[in-house]
This record gives sequence, structure tokens and C-alpha cells, in this order.
Amino acid sequence: MDPAIRQALNHGERLGGRYALQIPQVAASGWTGSRSGRRTGSSIDFQDYREYEPGDDLRFIDWGIYARSDRLTVKLFREEVTPHLDLILDGSRSMNLENTAKAEAAAGIAALLAAAATNAQCTRSVWLSGEGFQRLPNDTSPSSAWDSLEFNSQRTPEQSYEILAPKFRRLGVRVLVSDLLWPGNPLPTLRRLRDGAAALFVIQLLGRDDVNPPEHGNLRAADCETGEEIEIYIDATVARQYAGNLARLQQSWADACRQCGARMTTLVAEELEQSLGELESIQLLAPA
Amino acid sequence: MIPFLTYPLALLALASLPALAAIYILRNRFRRRPVSSLVLWRFNVQSKPGGAKIHRLQLPLLFFLELLGLLLLVVAAAGPHWQLPQSTRPLIVVLDDSFSMRAVHHDLSAQARAADFLEKLFHQPPPSTRFILAGTQPRLLDAPVRGWPEAAKLLAQWKCWSPGAAIDSAITLAAEIGRQQANILVLTDHGPADEKISNPRLEWRAFGAPLDNLAMVNASRTAFGDQDRCLLEIANYSGELRTAQLLVQAGSNDVQRTTLSIGARGEQRLVFNIPAATPLLRASLEPDALVEDNDVRLLPPVRKRVRVQVALTNAAWSSLINQTLEATGLRAAISDQPELVIHESDTMAGSNSWSLRWLSPAGTTAYVGPFILDNSHPLAMGLTLEGVVWAAAACTNTSGEIPILLAGNTPLLSAREDALGRRHLTLNFNPGLSTLQNTPDWPILFWNLLQWRAAESPGLRESNARLGTEVELKTTGEPITVIRPDDTSTVFPKTGGDLALETPLPGLYSVLAGTSTNRFAVNPLAADESDLSRCTTGQWGAWSEETERRFQETSAVWIFGLAALAILVTHLYLLAAGKGGR
Repeated sequence: MDPAIRQALNHGERLGGRYALQIPQVAASGWTGSRSGRRTGSSIDFQDYREYEPGDDLRFIDWGIYARSDRLTVKLFREEVTPHLDLILDGSRSMNLENTAKAEAAAGIAALLAAAATNAQCTRSVWLSGEGFQRLPNDTSPSSAWDSLEFNSQRTPEQSYEILAPKFRRLGVRVLVSDLLWPGNPLPTLRRLRDGAAALFVIQLLGRDDVNPPEHGNLRAADCETGEEIEIYIDATVARQYAGNLARLQQSWADACRQCGARMTTLVAEELEQSLGELESIQLLAPA
Repeated sequence: MIPFLTYPLALLALASLPALAAIYILRNRFRRRPVSSLVLWRFNVQSKPGGAKIHRLQLPLLFFLELLGLLLLVVAAAGPHWQLPQSTRPLIVVLDDSFSMRAVHHDLSAQARAADFLEKLFHQPPPSTRFILAGTQPRLLDAPVRGWPEAAKLLAQWKCWSPGAAIDSAITLAAEIGRQQANILVLTDHGPADEKISNPRLEWRAFGAPLDNLAMVNASRTAFGDQDRCLLEIANYSGELRTAQLLVQAGSNDVQRTTLSIGARGEQRLVFNIPAATPLLRASLEPDALVEDNDVRLLPPVRKRVRVQVALTNAAWSSLINQTLEATGLRAAISDQPELVIHESDTMAGSNSWSLRWLSPAGTTAYVGPFILDNSHPLAMGLTLEGVVWAAAACTNTSGEIPILLAGNTPLLSAREDALGRRHLTLNFNPGLSTLQNTPDWPILFWNLLQWRAAESPGLRESNARLGTEVELKTTGEPITVIRPDDTSTVFPKTGGDLALETPLPGLYSVLAGTSTNRFAVNPLAADESDLSRCTTGQWGAWSEETERRFQETSAVWIFGLAALAILVTHLYLLAAGKGGR
């Protein structure tokens, strides 16, 4: 793994110590854990009474009420669950664009979210797109122990999904970290990600060069994923058209997110630390 | 076609054009840049022809402005000229400045008649007129004039004292000055060599008349021992026998009065001696059509003597040298402060004198030739050395000495010049075994030596000169004042070496150098000018229509300069406004 990415993971982990993942109420379900769920369970937190039904555990019958009212009543306790975070990383080459800090920023965000999930007593899975979605080795360990985090796939997350879909945990919180720069309608992708999830967050991570192309001059733009090249003379008009294209792309993703109930934000890789407030504003993170 | 190679600035500016193009080509080449996705670049993309290797350059407007600006500066640096139509032509007048124009016919000289014609011509003055004096060399007079008063002022310089008229050269000069566009008017006293004038811009007018003339065409006064020998040559430029009286006067005394009878187009020479003490000799003929060539003045010739000191130890050689020097007639009677020392020693003799060192004849060898002689040297003039036996020491030349006479590789006579301009000669000669002293070459050699030394001493080289020639003056560094016959004077500040004095007027000139005064006489002796038989009156050639259109070249540099300035201002504005595309 690239030492720069390793370093970014460590840095993100340190940053994530200051945050905790915000778990929506709907996500308060899952495996038995230490966090109160939204259903009844076996914790010590009293939740309600109800009439005894055959099959109920006799240990939860409230004998005091039976003595007073001669009715069999059982006490219900809140269940204790462990919420889950599915972190989906775009492993395509565009996330490791030359002369940008996108790869380091993506690793940093992933480590940050992992640390924040730990702070929120969440389990997590880290999925990396490539030839299908694969879980990152050691992804349940602290991010400093992760391995094989490389952004060298020629496939977009959408294509990876077609090859091998990830096995997300139901009612988990899912976070997609990608530059979202691939053609097509984002709605189907988002729907698949949203399916069965308690919440879906989309973090668009762009490099400064993605946001601000060269002002003037002749440019042979080479797609870092496909290798395709086009020659363009950039002037003020072309620069405006580029900005319009980027805005339209972001708007299409924002609209799709709205339709799916997902939340989206855009971060610039080179300005990551200054932009962490954006993650709080979409209620993904909260101070620990 | 702009001759760029003759305009280095234009060439440099032109060289900047490919440099500018290279800058823009390199700057505008397609730079490869990886991008995250081409999805954002799918717009207004230039279609790339399949397999095409050459792409049209996308150059900004500023490039074309800079290119245009540079091109304009290139053209401006080449000094372009445009030909603009003009309705009238300037006039260049060629004036015959020879003294034959002074010949009088019906009380009017050709010069006066030509001046009258000019005055009438200026009743409708040309747009601009220039004058060229056609003397022995054409001379352009000052600036163009536009009216008769200015022209009359300039014509005061038209004195007609030149011994010849280079009219063809003057016409060539006029054509060059007028860029083949100006009208040329020749005012003279004779017709053109070619009766048919093909140049449509040339008009030739003659105002002379074929007159009979007796003239003195040659006059000289040379030293002849204790006397002066005078020569006068009188020519009869008429078609019949002419009789005239020649009067030769020295001061107010008549030296000779002779009646000459000279046949048609014949000449007669008179040679006579006069005492050397006779100051100014004046010879005159009776007045005729051209009085200027009837009178000559002859001053005594310049007699320069050389003070020679013979310091030879051998009495026989000393006697031989003394006899030879006396025979030349150029030796001064005294030998104090010698100008030439003849000696045998190696040491230098005298502070300001030339020296002739006679080499001691040790190991003498007799040479019978062939002798190698530097014929361009003043000492070699007239030397033949035929049959001469020259005995000399077989030695080689010392450094710094230039051999004048050699026998094989043995220098017999050599010379060198020191830092003060003194000449030091070395004569390798043993008279005991030689026959040189018995041949005419011996006195010739010493006459040449004294003549050379005399010529290098300060003062005039000659006292009588022909009109238009230059009189040489050897100066010692003092300021020289020359007073001309018309009492005008010219001062030459401190000069060293030779000074050539012009003789534009006939008469007596005075040369003042320090406390000494020298004089020389200048006489108008020119047979061609005195011969008036070819003079005539008439007109040859005529200018084309005055109103015809002609073209005059006008500089167009300012137009290109202004255009370049406008381009640069536009460039600046586009840069400031950010509209240049770069």
C-alpha cells in the first residue's frame, strides 16, 4: 500500500477520535450489542408492560401486578443492539488522480469515519470497488491495520456493483465516498445502495483540478481510467461550459439523493480538514 | 521587394517573426493532462480526424496582433518609399564654369547671356531649382532656390575661371540628384558632343560664338644657371594668319616686344633668358575676344639650395664628392647647419640633417650587374647603370634600411627614415675599383640626392602654376595664410607635412608662413578653353510637357510606424481587458 495512503489513514484515525458517528433512530437495530435498540430486548432498561401470552419467558412476569390484579403481566425491556456502518469506497483510478490529494483524502475520510463509528459503538465494514466490491482486509480493525487500500480500478462503482454486489447489513448506515464522475443516471445506483439501509450518505470527493480546470490553453485531456484522450482549446467559454457540466452532474446526484432519502455533500480533497464541518451539517458526524 | 540585407534593423525584426511564431507554437501545443473523467469535457470538442497527425494551431488574437505589429515594424525599418504623383518638376541647372564662357561677343560674354536667359526663366520659376557648377569637377551649389533673388545670390559663385568643364559628369550628377525625375538645363558656350539628345529631361543651351582668338597656351620660367629661361607658347585659334604684338615686361620695364605672325590654327614658341634677379615677368598680347588668356605672369622659379657638409677622411673621395655637388648647382654656398652630411662614421652627424654614410670599403667586391634598382625611389630617377662596375663591400643590409640599389643580395645604396623624419642613406661604394664616377650616373645620383633633399625642405615646390592645378607647399607646422588674387584669404591652422593649395583664380597668390612670405603665380593656360572655334549658340533637346505626371518618391515610414503604434495600443487594451485569449 502506498505509504502516503498509510499516513493518511493514520491521520484520519486521529481526526476521527474527535467525532462520533450519528446513528439515526431507524438504524437502532441489529445484532445484540451495547447500544439501546428501538425494539424490546433483554437489556435492563424497562420499556413497557403487556399481557402475558403463552410462550413468554416466565422470568419477566411481574408477580407484584399478578398479586394485586390477578392478571399475568410481563415486563418488556429495551433491546441492546450494535449499529453498523458500511463504508463504500470508490476504488477507481480517478480517485488517485495525479497532482491531486484525492487518494489520501479518501483514505483519510474512511479512517475518520471508521474511528467515529468506533466512538459511536458501531461495527463497520469497508467495501472497496474494483472487480466487484470486496471488503478491505482487516477492516474491522483500527484503520492503521487496514491493508490493500489501493485506487487502481478501471471500473466505476456502478460497474463493480454489477460484477459483485456488496453484502450490506440491513439497517446499517451506508456511506459512499467517491468523486461520482461517471456518466449515467445516478438514481439506480443510489437505490441499490439505499435498499435496506437505515441511512445513506454520499460524500463526493473532488480534487482541486476537478473543480478548477486550466484557465486557458491547449489541453490534451486523458481519462485516467479509460486512457481515452481528447484535445480541447480552453478559453473562458469552455471553462464556463466545464463548470456548467460539473454543476449539472452534482445537481443530478443531489436530485437522486433527495429521491432516495440520502444526504450528499461535496468535499475538496486539498481542503479536507477545513471541510469536515460539512459532514456534521449532513448529520453524519457529531462531536464525540 | 524590400532589400532586407541592406537594412540590418529590418533583418533583425524579420528574424523575430519566426521567434514569435515558435514561442506561440511551443506555448500553444497540446499539453497532456490526466483528468478524472472525460464526462465533464464532453462539449464543444474539436473533431479529431482519424489518423491525423497535424492539428490546426489555436492561436489567440494577440498572436496575430503581435505578428502584424512586427511585420509593420519590419517594413518601417526598411525605409519604404511610395511614389506620389507630382504635377511639376524641379529643375537642375548645369552651369559651364570654364573660362571660355568669358569670351565676349557683341559686348556680352556667354556667361552674361546665359545669366539673362536664367533670369527670364525665373519669370515663371520652377518649384525648386538647384545649380551645379561644371568646372574640372562638378560642384553642387548649396540648397535649392525657389526665386530669382535667391538664384542671383547663388550665381555670384559662378565665376567662370575653371580650366575645363566636365559637363557630362555634371549631367550625371544632376540626374542622380534629381532621381531621373528632374528637368536638367545645361548652360554653356558650345554644343553637345552628340547633336541628338535622347534624354527627354535634358535641355542643352549654348550662348557662345565661334570667335577668333590668340591665346597663350603655355608659359614657364625655369632656373637656367644664373639666369632664368622663359618659354611662351602662343596659339592662333582662327582660320587665317594673325599678327599680334607680344609685350614682355618686368615690372615697368619692357623686356621684349615682339610682333608675332602665326598661321591659321598654328602655334609659336618663344624661348628667352632673363636675369634670375628679375622679379615678376609679365607677358601680354593685345586684347581680343577672350582677354583672360592674353596675359601671363611668371615669377622666378624656386631655387632651393642644399647646405651640404662633406666630412670624408679620404681627401680624394672628398674632392670627388665636392666636385660632383658643385656640378649639380643645387649646393648652397655655406655649409653651416648642414641639411645633408656625407660622412664615413657610424655616429649621426647633425641634429636636423640627412646623412649619407659612405661605407668603408673592406673586403671589396666588384659588381658588373645586373643591378636591382627601385625605380620608384627619388634617387633612382634617371639612373641606368649600364656598363658600370660598382665595387662594394660584400655585406648584408642592416635592419631598418630599405635597399634602393642591389647587386645580388648586396645592398649598394639603402635608406631609412628615423622618428624625426630624417633620412639616412648608406652608400656601399669603393671608387678605387669602380667606374661609376666616370659615368653620367654619378652626377645624376647626386643631383637626385640634392633635389630630393631640397624638395623636402619647407616652402613652395614651384612658383608658377596653371589655373586649376594644386600647388604643393611643404610646411613646418606653422599656421599658413594664403591670400588669393581677389584679396580673400584662407588660414590653415598648424599643419605639418605637405599642403596642396587650390588655384581657383588666376593671378598672384601670397603664402604667409610665420615671418616668411612666398608667392606663386597662376595663369589660365588651357588650350581647349582658348579655342573658341567650336563655340556656338543654340538649343539641343527639350523637356517633355511640363504638366505631364511624374512620380516622386516619398518616405512612408511614418505610415507604417503609426499603424504599428495603433496595433500595439490595441494589444495593450486587449491585454488590460483580458480579451486577448491569452
